[in-house]
Amino acid sequence: MNLSYLANASGIAAEYSLYEKWIASAKVILTGFVVVFAVLFLLIAIIKIYSAIVTKVQDRNNVKKHKKEKISQPGEALKKPVVIPVQKNNADEPVVSGEIDGEVVAVIAAAVTAMYGTKGKAKIKSIKKSGGRSAWANAGILDNTRPF
Amino acid sequence: MEIIDGFFKAITGIFNESGILTLNWQNYIMIAISIVLLYLAIKKQYEPLLLLPIAFGMLLVNLYPAIMNPPSVQLLTAEQCAAQHVELAGHAQRVIDGVTYYENPTYGGLLYYLYQGVKLGIYPPLIFLGIGCMTDFGPLIANPKSLILGAAAQIGIFITFTGAIFLGFSEPEAGAIGIIGGADGPTAIYVTTKLAPHLLGSIAIAAYSYMALVPIIQPPIMKALTTKKERMVVMEQLRPVSKLEKIMFPIIVVIVIAILLPDAAPLVGMLMLGNLFKESGVVDRIAKAAQNELMNIITIFLGTTVGATASGQNFLSLSTIKIIVLGLIAFAMGTAFGVLFGKLMYKFTGGKVNPLIGSAGVSAVPMAARVSQKVGQQENPGNFLLMHAMGPNVAGVIGSAVAAGVLLNVVGH
Repeated sequence: MNLSYLANASGIAAEYSLYEKWIASAKVILTGFVVVFAVLFLLIAIIKIYSAIVTKVQDRNNVKKHKKEKISQPGEALKKPVVIPVQKNNADEPVVSGEIDGEVVAVIAAAVTAMYGTKGKAKIKSIKKSGGRSAWANAGILDNTRPF
Repeated sequence: MEIIDGFFKAITGIFNESGILTLNWQNYIMIAISIVLLYLAIKKQYEPLLLLPIAFGMLLVNLYPAIMNPPSVQLLTAEQCAAQHVELAGHAQRVIDGVTYYENPTYGGLLYYLYQGVKLGIYPPLIFLGIGCMTDFGPLIANPKSLILGAAAQIGIFITFTGAIFLGFSEPEAGAIGIIGGADGPTAIYVTTKLAPHLLGSIAIAAYSYMALVPIIQPPIMKALTTKKERMVVMEQLRPVSKLEKIMFPIIVVIVIAILLPDAAPLVGMLMLGNLFKESGVVDRIAKAAQNELMNIITIFLGTTVGATASGQNFLSLSTIKIIVLGLIAFAMGTAFGVLFGKLMYKFTGGKVNPLIGSAGVSAVPMAARVSQKVGQQENPGNFLLMHAMGPNVAGVIGSAVAAGVLLNVVGH
Protein backbone atom coordinates (compact mmCIF):
# COMPACT_ATOMS: atom_id res chain seq x y z
CA MET A 1 0.00 0.00 0.00
CA ASN A 2 1.21 3.47 -0.84
CA LEU A 3 2.55 5.28 2.22
CA SER A 4 1.17 8.67 1.30
CA TYR A 5 -2.25 7.05 0.80
CA LEU A 6 -2.05 5.70 4.34
CA ALA A 7 -1.04 9.08 5.68
CA ASN A 8 -3.82 10.89 3.89
CA ALA A 9 -6.39 8.27 4.83
CA SER A 10 -5.58 8.79 8.50
CA GLY A 11 -6.11 12.51 8.17
CA ILE A 12 -2.47 13.31 8.75
CA ALA A 13 -1.01 15.49 6.09
CA ALA A 14 2.24 14.17 4.67
CA GLU A 15 3.95 17.53 5.06
CA TYR A 16 7.49 16.39 4.39
CA SER A 17 9.09 15.59 1.08
CA LEU A 18 10.92 12.28 0.77
CA TYR A 19 14.25 14.05 1.13
CA GLU A 20 13.09 15.85 4.28
CA LYS A 21 11.91 12.56 5.74
CA TRP A 22 15.30 10.96 5.19
CA ILE A 23 17.07 13.97 6.69
CA ALA A 24 14.77 14.03 9.76
CA SER A 25 15.19 10.28 10.29
CA ALA A 26 18.95 10.25 9.84
CA LYS A 27 19.31 13.22 12.21
CA VAL A 28 17.33 11.52 14.98
CA ILE A 29 18.91 8.07 14.53
CA LEU A 30 22.43 9.46 14.52
CA THR A 31 21.88 11.84 17.44
CA GLY A 32 20.00 9.24 19.45
CA PHE A 33 22.55 6.51 18.84
CA VAL A 34 25.55 8.70 19.61
CA VAL A 35 24.11 10.51 22.65
CA VAL A 36 22.56 7.44 24.33
CA PHE A 37 25.72 5.38 23.90
CA ALA A 38 28.03 8.27 24.84
CA VAL A 39 26.12 9.02 28.06
CA LEU A 40 25.89 5.37 29.06
CA PHE A 41 29.57 4.69 28.19
CA LEU A 42 30.49 7.70 30.32
CA LEU A 43 28.42 6.22 33.16
CA ILE A 44 30.22 2.87 32.75
CA ALA A 45 33.58 4.62 33.07
CA ILE A 46 32.46 6.64 36.09
CA ILE A 47 30.94 3.61 37.85
CA LYS A 48 34.11 1.59 37.25
CA ILE A 49 36.34 4.38 38.56
CA TYR A 50 34.35 5.12 41.69
CA SER A 51 33.78 1.44 42.42
CA ALA A 52 37.53 0.83 42.19
CA ILE A 53 38.23 3.78 44.50
CA VAL A 54 35.57 2.74 47.02
CA THR A 55 36.75 -0.88 47.03
CA LYS A 56 40.39 0.16 47.49
CA VAL A 57 39.58 2.56 50.32
CA GLN A 58 37.38 0.00 52.05
CA ASP A 59 40.02 -2.73 51.68
CA ARG A 60 42.65 -0.43 53.13
CA ASN A 61 40.37 0.44 56.05
CA ASN A 62 39.69 -3.23 56.67
CA VAL A 63 43.42 -4.04 56.72
CA LYS A 64 44.03 -1.18 59.17
CA LYS A 65 41.16 -2.37 61.34
CA HIS A 66 42.53 -5.93 61.42
CA LYS A 67 45.99 -4.67 62.30
CA LYS A 68 44.59 -2.56 65.14
CA GLU A 69 42.65 -5.52 66.47
CA LYS A 70 45.76 -7.70 66.38
CA ILE A 71 47.82 -5.07 68.20
CA SER A 72 45.18 -4.50 70.86
CA GLN A 73 44.64 -8.24 71.47
CA PRO A 74 47.99 -9.97 70.90
CA GLY A 75 46.90 -13.09 72.78
CA GLU A 76 43.99 -13.62 70.44
CA ALA A 77 46.23 -14.22 67.44
CA LEU A 78 48.06 -16.98 69.23
CA LYS A 79 44.91 -18.80 70.09
CA LYS A 80 44.25 -21.95 68.16
CA PRO A 81 41.38 -21.77 65.66
CA VAL A 82 38.13 -23.22 66.89
CA VAL A 83 37.46 -26.49 65.18
CA ILE A 84 33.84 -27.45 64.79
CA PRO A 85 33.74 -31.21 64.92
CA VAL A 86 31.62 -33.11 62.48
CA GLN A 87 29.74 -35.80 64.32
CA LYS A 88 30.20 -39.14 62.68
CA ASN A 89 28.50 -41.89 64.57
CA ASN A 90 27.52 -45.41 63.75
CA ALA A 91 25.94 -46.32 60.42
CA ASP A 92 22.32 -45.85 61.62
CA GLU A 93 22.75 -42.24 62.66
CA PRO A 94 22.90 -39.40 60.15
CA VAL A 95 26.09 -37.43 59.67
CA VAL A 96 25.31 -33.99 61.07
CA SER A 97 27.45 -30.96 60.41
CA GLY A 98 28.66 -29.48 63.69
CA GLU A 99 27.17 -26.05 63.03
CA ILE A 100 23.60 -27.42 62.97
CA ASP A 101 21.75 -27.23 66.21
CA GLY A 102 20.39 -30.41 67.79
CA GLU A 103 16.88 -28.96 67.79
CA VAL A 104 17.03 -28.43 64.03
CA VAL A 105 18.09 -32.06 63.54
CA ALA A 106 15.15 -33.15 65.72
CA VAL A 107 12.71 -31.03 63.70
CA ILE A 108 14.00 -32.41 60.38
CA ALA A 109 13.78 -35.98 61.72
CA ALA A 110 10.23 -35.32 62.98
CA ALA A 111 9.19 -33.89 59.59
CA VAL A 112 10.61 -36.93 57.75
CA THR A 113 8.87 -39.26 60.20
CA ALA A 114 5.59 -37.39 59.81
CA MET A 115 5.82 -37.72 56.02
CA TYR A 116 7.04 -41.33 55.71
CA GLY A 117 6.11 -42.91 59.08
CA THR A 118 8.37 -44.90 61.39
CA LYS A 119 8.10 -48.15 59.46
CA GLY A 120 8.91 -46.64 56.09
CA LYS A 121 12.12 -46.96 54.16
CA ALA A 122 13.07 -43.30 54.58
CA LYS A 123 16.39 -42.78 56.26
CA ILE A 124 18.28 -39.59 56.99
CA LYS A 125 21.88 -40.13 55.92
CA SER A 126 23.29 -36.69 56.50
CA ILE A 127 22.22 -33.17 57.41
CA LYS A 128 24.36 -30.29 56.28
CA LYS A 129 23.81 -26.61 55.69
CA SER A 130 23.51 -25.73 52.00
CA GLY A 131 25.60 -22.94 50.50
CA GLY A 132 22.59 -20.62 50.55
CA ARG A 133 21.20 -18.64 47.66
CA SER A 134 21.09 -14.93 47.18
CA ALA A 135 17.77 -13.16 47.41
CA TRP A 136 17.79 -12.83 43.61
CA ALA A 137 18.33 -16.54 43.08
CA ASN A 138 15.50 -17.26 45.53
CA ALA A 139 13.28 -14.83 43.64
CA GLY A 140 14.24 -16.61 40.42
CA ILE A 141 13.34 -20.01 41.78
CA LEU A 142 10.07 -18.73 43.17
CA ASP A 143 9.28 -17.06 39.92
CA ASN A 144 10.02 -20.07 37.80
CA THR A 145 7.95 -22.39 39.87
CA ARG A 146 4.93 -20.27 39.08
CA PRO A 147 3.42 -19.80 35.64
CA PHE A 148 3.52 -16.29 34.14
CA MET B 1 -52.47 17.86 35.89
CA GLU B 2 -49.63 20.22 36.62
CA ILE B 3 -47.85 17.47 38.53
CA ILE B 4 -48.14 15.01 35.64
CA ASP B 5 -47.01 17.70 33.20
CA GLY B 6 -43.98 18.44 35.38
CA PHE B 7 -43.24 14.74 35.69
CA PHE B 8 -43.26 14.24 31.90
CA LYS B 9 -41.09 17.32 31.39
CA ALA B 10 -38.57 16.01 33.90
CA ILE B 11 -38.52 12.54 32.32
CA THR B 12 -38.12 14.07 28.82
CA GLY B 13 -35.27 16.25 30.09
CA ILE B 14 -33.49 13.28 31.67
CA PHE B 15 -33.99 11.21 28.49
CA ASN B 16 -32.67 14.01 26.26
CA GLU B 17 -29.52 14.31 28.33
CA SER B 18 -29.00 10.56 28.68
CA GLY B 19 -26.34 8.63 26.84
CA ILE B 20 -29.00 6.96 24.69
CA LEU B 21 -29.31 10.16 22.66
CA THR B 22 -25.92 11.81 23.20
CA LEU B 23 -23.52 8.91 22.60
CA ASN B 24 -22.44 7.98 19.09
CA TRP B 25 -21.32 4.67 17.56
CA GLN B 26 -17.63 5.35 18.32
CA ASN B 27 -18.45 5.60 22.01
CA TYR B 28 -20.22 2.24 21.93
CA ILE B 29 -17.23 0.56 20.20
CA MET B 30 -14.92 2.05 22.83
CA ILE B 31 -17.19 0.79 25.60
CA ALA B 32 -16.87 -2.71 24.11
CA ILE B 33 -13.06 -2.34 23.86
CA SER B 34 -12.84 -1.15 27.46
CA ILE B 35 -14.83 -4.18 28.62
CA VAL B 36 -12.39 -6.47 26.74
CA LEU B 37 -9.48 -4.66 28.43
CA LEU B 38 -11.17 -5.05 31.82
CA TYR B 39 -11.50 -8.76 31.10
CA LEU B 40 -7.79 -8.98 30.21
CA ALA B 41 -6.84 -7.08 33.36
CA ILE B 42 -9.03 -9.08 35.74
CA LYS B 43 -9.13 -12.54 34.23
CA LYS B 44 -5.76 -12.74 32.44
CA GLN B 45 -4.03 -10.35 34.85
CA TYR B 46 -2.20 -8.44 32.09
CA GLU B 47 -0.58 -5.53 33.95
CA PRO B 48 -3.76 -5.22 36.05
CA LEU B 49 -2.44 -2.37 38.19
CA LEU B 50 -2.50 -0.09 35.17
CA LEU B 51 -4.74 -1.81 32.67
CA LEU B 52 -7.69 -1.87 35.05
CA PRO B 53 -7.78 1.88 35.79
CA ILE B 54 -6.96 2.66 32.13
CA ALA B 55 -9.83 0.48 30.91
CA PHE B 56 -12.23 1.95 33.46
CA GLY B 57 -11.21 5.50 32.57
CA MET B 58 -11.88 4.61 28.94
CA LEU B 59 -15.27 3.21 29.89
CA LEU B 60 -16.19 6.30 31.92
CA VAL B 61 -15.25 8.85 29.27
CA ASN B 62 -17.20 7.03 26.61
CA LEU B 63 -20.27 6.73 28.81
CA TYR B 64 -20.06 10.32 30.01
CA PRO B 65 -17.75 12.41 27.77
CA ALA B 66 -18.31 15.56 29.87
CA ILE B 67 -16.20 13.99 32.63
CA MET B 68 -13.14 15.21 30.68
CA ASN B 69 -14.59 18.60 29.71
CA PRO B 70 -12.45 21.61 30.54
CA PRO B 71 -14.00 24.50 32.49
CA SER B 72 -15.74 27.01 30.24
CA VAL B 73 -17.75 30.21 30.33
CA GLN B 74 -21.49 30.18 29.77
CA LEU B 75 -23.10 33.34 28.37
CA LEU B 76 -26.43 34.04 30.11
CA THR B 77 -28.89 36.85 29.76
CA ALA B 78 -30.22 38.55 32.89
CA GLU B 79 -33.44 36.50 32.60
CA GLN B 80 -31.56 33.23 32.28
CA CYS B 81 -29.43 34.18 35.29
CA ALA B 82 -32.57 34.78 37.31
CA ALA B 83 -34.11 31.48 36.16
CA GLN B 84 -30.95 29.57 37.13
CA HIS B 85 -30.54 31.48 40.39
CA VAL B 86 -27.17 32.89 39.27
CA GLU B 87 -26.23 36.12 41.01
CA LEU B 88 -25.37 38.87 38.54
CA ALA B 89 -22.90 40.67 40.81
CA GLY B 90 -19.26 39.95 40.06
CA HIS B 91 -19.87 38.48 36.59
CA ALA B 92 -18.22 40.09 33.57
CA GLN B 93 -20.62 41.42 30.97
CA ARG B 94 -20.48 41.11 27.21
CA VAL B 95 -22.74 42.81 24.71
CA ILE B 96 -23.51 40.83 21.57
CA ASP B 97 -25.96 42.25 19.00
CA GLY B 98 -27.25 44.72 21.56
CA VAL B 99 -28.04 42.01 24.12
CA THR B 100 -26.13 42.01 27.43
CA TYR B 101 -24.78 38.63 28.47
CA TYR B 102 -23.21 37.71 31.78
CA GLU B 103 -20.21 35.38 31.79
CA ASN B 104 -21.00 32.49 34.10
CA PRO B 105 -18.03 30.18 34.63
CA THR B 106 -18.76 26.44 34.64
CA TYR B 107 -16.61 23.79 36.22
CA GLY B 108 -14.74 21.12 34.28
CA GLY B 109 -15.30 17.37 34.60
CA LEU B 110 -13.69 15.40 37.44
CA LEU B 111 -11.15 13.62 35.26
CA TYR B 112 -10.18 16.88 33.55
CA TYR B 113 -8.71 18.13 36.82
CA LEU B 114 -7.00 14.86 37.63
CA TYR B 115 -5.62 14.82 34.08
CA GLN B 116 -3.65 18.01 34.73
CA GLY B 117 -1.04 15.87 36.50
CA VAL B 118 -0.50 14.00 33.24
CA LYS B 119 -0.73 17.08 31.03
CA LEU B 120 1.78 19.03 33.09
CA GLY B 121 4.17 16.07 33.28
CA ILE B 122 3.81 15.64 37.06
CA TYR B 123 2.66 12.02 37.45
CA PRO B 124 5.33 10.17 35.41
CA PRO B 125 8.28 11.57 37.41
CA LEU B 126 6.40 10.77 40.65
CA ILE B 127 5.94 7.19 39.44
CA PHE B 128 9.69 7.15 38.77
CA LEU B 129 10.24 8.24 42.38
CA GLY B 130 8.42 5.13 43.56
CA ILE B 131 10.23 2.92 41.03
CA GLY B 132 13.54 4.32 42.29
CA CYS B 133 12.62 3.26 45.84
CA MET B 134 11.97 -0.28 44.63
CA THR B 135 14.98 -0.66 42.34
CA ASP B 136 18.22 -2.33 43.31
CA PHE B 137 20.99 -1.00 41.09
CA GLY B 138 23.44 -3.48 42.68
CA PRO B 139 23.63 -5.82 39.64
CA LEU B 140 24.29 -2.82 37.40
CA ILE B 141 27.02 -1.44 39.66
CA ALA B 142 28.59 -4.91 39.89
CA ASN B 143 28.59 -5.23 36.11
CA PRO B 144 28.49 -1.72 34.59
CA LYS B 145 28.85 -3.16 31.08
CA SER B 146 25.13 -3.95 31.38
CA LEU B 147 24.60 -0.32 30.45
CA ILE B 148 25.70 -1.17 26.88
CA LEU B 149 22.74 -3.54 26.64
CA GLY B 150 20.47 -0.90 28.17
CA ALA B 151 21.62 1.50 25.43
CA ALA B 152 21.38 -1.06 22.61
CA ALA B 153 17.75 -1.82 23.41
CA GLN B 154 16.91 1.85 22.81
CA ILE B 155 17.94 1.68 19.14
CA GLY B 156 14.44 0.43 18.33
CA ILE B 157 13.07 3.81 19.47
CA PHE B 158 15.02 5.71 16.88
CA ILE B 159 14.44 3.24 14.05
CA THR B 160 10.69 3.31 14.73
CA PHE B 161 10.90 7.08 14.57
CA THR B 162 11.91 6.62 10.91
CA GLY B 163 9.01 4.26 10.28
CA ALA B 164 6.57 6.75 11.79
CA ILE B 165 7.95 9.62 9.71
CA PHE B 166 7.50 7.57 6.54
CA LEU B 167 3.94 6.69 7.56
CA GLY B 168 3.10 10.38 7.55
CA PHE B 169 3.44 11.38 11.19
CA SER B 170 5.09 14.67 12.10
CA GLU B 171 8.48 14.66 13.85
CA PRO B 172 7.09 15.20 17.38
CA GLU B 173 4.42 12.54 16.79
CA ALA B 174 7.05 10.12 15.47
CA GLY B 175 9.18 10.77 18.56
CA ALA B 176 6.27 9.99 20.85
CA ILE B 177 5.47 6.79 18.93
CA GLY B 178 9.09 5.64 18.90
CA ILE B 179 9.36 5.88 22.70
CA ILE B 180 6.96 2.91 22.98
CA GLY B 181 10.08 0.85 22.16
CA GLY B 182 11.56 1.93 25.49
CA ALA B 183 8.94 -0.32 27.12
CA ASP B 184 8.59 2.15 29.93
CA GLY B 185 5.05 3.40 30.55
CA PRO B 186 5.80 6.57 32.56
CA THR B 187 8.52 7.61 30.08
CA ALA B 188 6.18 7.03 27.13
CA ILE B 189 3.47 9.13 28.80
CA TYR B 190 5.91 11.86 29.77
CA VAL B 191 7.33 12.19 26.25
CA THR B 192 3.91 12.00 24.59
CA THR B 193 2.42 14.75 26.77
CA LYS B 194 5.31 16.97 25.71
CA LEU B 195 5.47 16.05 22.02
CA ALA B 196 2.04 14.85 20.89
CA PRO B 197 -0.62 15.06 23.63
CA HIS B 198 -3.41 14.25 21.15
CA LEU B 199 -1.92 10.74 20.72
CA LEU B 200 -1.65 10.04 24.44
CA GLY B 201 -4.49 7.51 24.68
CA SER B 202 -3.28 5.38 21.76
CA ILE B 203 0.39 5.49 22.78
CA ALA B 204 -0.23 4.73 26.46
CA ILE B 205 -2.50 1.82 25.63
CA ALA B 206 -0.03 0.45 23.05
CA ALA B 207 2.90 0.82 25.49
CA TYR B 208 1.17 -0.90 28.40
CA SER B 209 -0.29 -3.62 26.20
CA TYR B 210 3.14 -4.52 24.84
CA MET B 211 4.67 -4.41 28.30
CA ALA B 212 2.04 -6.90 29.41
CA LEU B 213 2.83 -9.04 26.37
CA VAL B 214 6.61 -9.15 26.99
CA PRO B 215 6.55 -12.91 27.79
CA ILE B 216 4.84 -13.55 24.46
CA ILE B 217 6.68 -11.08 22.20
CA GLN B 218 10.26 -11.50 23.36
CA PRO B 219 11.01 -15.27 23.51
CA PRO B 220 10.62 -15.99 19.75
CA ILE B 221 12.95 -13.08 18.91
CA MET B 222 15.47 -14.17 21.54
CA LYS B 223 15.48 -17.76 20.30
CA ALA B 224 15.68 -16.76 16.64
CA LEU B 225 18.77 -14.62 17.20
CA THR B 226 20.76 -16.96 19.47
CA THR B 227 22.20 -20.46 19.22
CA LYS B 228 21.54 -23.17 21.77
CA LYS B 229 25.17 -22.94 22.89
CA GLU B 230 24.83 -19.21 23.56
CA ARG B 231 21.59 -19.67 25.48
CA MET B 232 23.24 -22.24 27.73
CA VAL B 233 26.03 -19.97 28.94
CA VAL B 234 26.21 -19.90 32.73
CA MET B 235 27.48 -16.51 33.88
CA GLU B 236 29.88 -15.94 36.75
CA GLN B 237 28.39 -14.79 40.03
CA LEU B 238 28.42 -11.01 40.42
CA ARG B 239 30.64 -9.41 43.03
CA PRO B 240 28.96 -8.04 46.15
CA VAL B 241 28.38 -4.30 46.03
CA SER B 242 29.07 -2.19 49.11
CA LYS B 243 26.51 0.15 50.63
CA LEU B 244 28.71 3.16 49.90
CA GLU B 245 28.76 2.32 46.18
CA LYS B 246 24.98 2.01 46.17
CA ILE B 247 24.59 5.38 47.90
CA MET B 248 27.00 7.11 45.54
CA PHE B 249 25.35 5.67 42.41
CA PRO B 250 22.15 7.79 42.31
CA ILE B 251 24.05 10.97 43.15
CA ILE B 252 26.64 10.42 40.41
CA VAL B 253 24.09 9.36 37.79
CA VAL B 254 21.85 12.37 38.37
CA ILE B 255 24.80 14.77 38.21
CA VAL B 256 26.06 13.29 34.92
CA ILE B 257 22.69 13.00 33.18
CA ALA B 258 21.19 16.28 34.37
CA ILE B 259 24.28 18.20 33.24
CA LEU B 260 24.60 16.47 29.88
CA LEU B 261 20.92 16.05 29.08
CA PRO B 262 18.73 18.45 31.11
CA ASP B 263 15.55 17.26 29.36
CA ALA B 264 15.96 13.86 31.02
CA ALA B 265 16.50 15.41 34.45
CA PRO B 266 12.86 15.24 35.74
CA LEU B 267 12.61 11.50 35.09
CA VAL B 268 16.15 10.48 36.02
CA GLY B 269 16.20 12.93 38.93
CA MET B 270 13.09 11.45 40.52
CA LEU B 271 14.27 7.89 39.83
CA MET B 272 17.57 8.58 41.55
CA LEU B 273 15.95 10.49 44.43
CA GLY B 274 13.76 7.46 45.12
CA ASN B 275 16.80 5.19 44.95
CA LEU B 276 18.73 7.41 47.35
CA PHE B 277 15.77 7.24 49.78
CA LYS B 278 16.12 3.46 49.68
CA GLU B 279 19.88 3.09 49.75
CA SER B 280 20.64 5.77 52.32
CA GLY B 281 18.62 3.83 54.87
CA VAL B 282 17.95 6.98 56.89
CA VAL B 283 14.51 7.89 55.51
CA ASP B 284 12.69 4.59 55.66
CA ARG B 285 9.32 6.25 56.25
CA ILE B 286 9.63 8.41 53.15
CA ALA B 287 10.90 5.51 51.06
CA LYS B 288 7.93 3.38 52.13
CA ALA B 289 5.46 6.20 51.44
CA ALA B 290 6.95 6.85 47.99
CA GLN B 291 6.85 3.22 46.88
CA ASN B 292 3.48 2.40 48.41
CA GLU B 293 0.94 5.13 49.16
CA LEU B 294 2.23 7.81 46.78
CA MET B 295 2.86 5.40 43.92
CA ASN B 296 -0.54 3.75 44.35
CA ILE B 297 -2.38 7.06 44.40
CA ILE B 298 -0.53 8.33 41.34
CA THR B 299 -1.14 5.02 39.56
CA ILE B 300 -4.89 5.44 40.09
CA PHE B 301 -4.87 9.02 38.78
CA LEU B 302 -2.51 8.30 35.90
CA GLY B 303 -4.23 5.12 34.75
CA THR B 304 -7.77 6.47 34.94
CA THR B 305 -7.03 9.78 33.24
CA VAL B 306 -4.85 8.26 30.51
CA GLY B 307 -7.71 5.86 29.80
CA ALA B 308 -10.07 8.82 29.73
CA THR B 309 -8.14 10.36 26.83
CA ALA B 310 -9.29 7.42 24.68
CA SER B 311 -12.66 8.75 23.71
CA GLY B 312 -14.22 7.20 20.61
CA GLN B 313 -13.60 10.28 18.47
CA ASN B 314 -9.89 10.40 19.37
CA PHE B 315 -9.10 6.72 19.49
CA LEU B 316 -10.91 5.14 16.56
CA SER B 317 -8.76 6.26 13.68
CA LEU B 318 -6.26 4.81 11.26
CA SER B 319 -3.46 6.57 13.13
CA THR B 320 -4.22 4.41 16.21
CA ILE B 321 -3.80 1.25 14.13
CA LYS B 322 -0.52 2.60 12.77
CA ILE B 323 0.64 3.47 16.30
CA ILE B 324 -0.13 -0.05 17.50
CA VAL B 325 1.80 -1.61 14.58
CA LEU B 326 4.73 0.80 14.99
CA GLY B 327 4.76 0.18 18.73
CA LEU B 328 5.12 -3.54 18.15
CA ILE B 329 7.96 -2.91 15.69
CA ALA B 330 9.67 -0.61 18.22
CA PHE B 331 9.36 -3.23 20.91
CA ALA B 332 10.60 -6.07 18.72
CA MET B 333 13.53 -3.96 17.47
CA GLY B 334 14.52 -3.01 21.02
CA THR B 335 14.54 -6.69 22.01
CA ALA B 336 16.46 -7.69 18.87
CA PHE B 337 19.16 -5.03 19.28
CA GLY B 338 19.55 -5.91 22.95
CA VAL B 339 20.10 -9.57 22.07
CA LEU B 340 22.43 -8.71 19.16
CA PHE B 341 24.60 -6.56 21.42
CA GLY B 342 24.47 -9.41 23.94
CA LYS B 343 25.91 -11.63 21.20
CA LEU B 344 28.66 -9.11 20.60
CA MET B 345 29.50 -9.16 24.29
CA TYR B 346 29.45 -12.96 24.17
CA LYS B 347 32.06 -12.87 21.40
CA PHE B 348 34.26 -10.20 23.02
CA THR B 349 34.27 -11.87 26.44
CA GLY B 350 35.05 -15.29 25.02
CA GLY B 351 31.63 -16.73 25.81
CA LYS B 352 31.24 -15.40 29.35
CA VAL B 353 28.07 -13.37 28.66
CA ASN B 354 24.76 -15.03 27.90
CA PRO B 355 23.18 -12.98 25.05
CA LEU B 356 19.70 -13.62 26.47
CA ILE B 357 20.25 -10.95 29.11
CA GLY B 358 20.37 -8.36 26.29
CA SER B 359 16.61 -8.51 25.75
CA ALA B 360 16.10 -7.24 29.31
CA GLY B 361 17.59 -3.91 28.19
CA VAL B 362 14.14 -2.78 27.04
CA SER B 363 13.25 -1.91 30.69
CA ALA B 364 9.78 -3.34 31.48
CA VAL B 365 11.13 -4.04 34.97
CA PRO B 366 11.18 -6.83 36.12
CA MET B 367 9.18 -8.70 33.49
CA ALA B 368 11.88 -8.54 30.79
CA ALA B 369 14.52 -9.88 33.22
CA ARG B 370 12.17 -12.70 34.17
CA VAL B 371 11.78 -13.59 30.50
CA SER B 372 15.59 -13.81 30.11
CA GLN B 373 15.66 -16.10 33.13
CA LYS B 374 12.83 -18.24 31.80
CA VAL B 375 14.25 -18.66 28.29
CA GLY B 376 17.70 -19.41 29.72
CA GLN B 377 16.29 -22.06 32.01
CA GLN B 378 14.49 -23.78 29.16
CA GLU B 379 17.94 -24.69 27.76
CA ASN B 380 19.74 -25.17 31.04
CA PRO B 381 17.49 -25.72 34.09
CA GLY B 382 20.35 -25.02 36.49
CA ASN B 383 21.08 -21.61 35.02
CA PHE B 384 19.99 -18.54 37.00
CA LEU B 385 20.22 -15.50 34.77
CA LEU B 386 17.79 -13.34 36.71
CA MET B 387 20.35 -11.34 38.64
CA HIS B 388 22.51 -10.87 35.53
CA ALA B 389 19.46 -9.74 33.54
CA MET B 390 18.48 -7.22 36.22
CA GLY B 391 21.60 -5.20 35.30
CA PRO B 392 20.51 -4.47 31.70
CA ASN B 393 16.92 -4.23 32.90
CA VAL B 394 17.53 -1.30 35.25
CA ALA B 395 20.06 0.09 32.75
CA GLY B 396 17.16 0.12 30.28
CA VAL B 397 15.19 2.42 32.60
CA ILE B 398 18.09 4.88 32.59
CA GLY B 399 18.61 4.32 28.84
CA SER B 400 14.98 5.02 27.95
CA ALA B 401 15.01 8.19 30.09
CA VAL B 402 18.14 9.32 28.24
CA ALA B 403 16.52 8.46 24.88
CA ALA B 404 13.46 10.47 25.99
CA GLY B 405 15.75 13.41 26.75
CA VAL B 406 17.28 13.12 23.26
CA LEU B 407 13.86 13.06 21.58
CA LEU B 408 12.57 16.00 23.62
CA ASN B 409 15.69 17.93 22.73
CA VAL B 410 15.88 17.07 19.03
CA VAL B 411 12.21 17.10 17.97
CA GLY B 412 10.55 18.90 20.85
CA HIS B 413 12.25 22.28 20.63
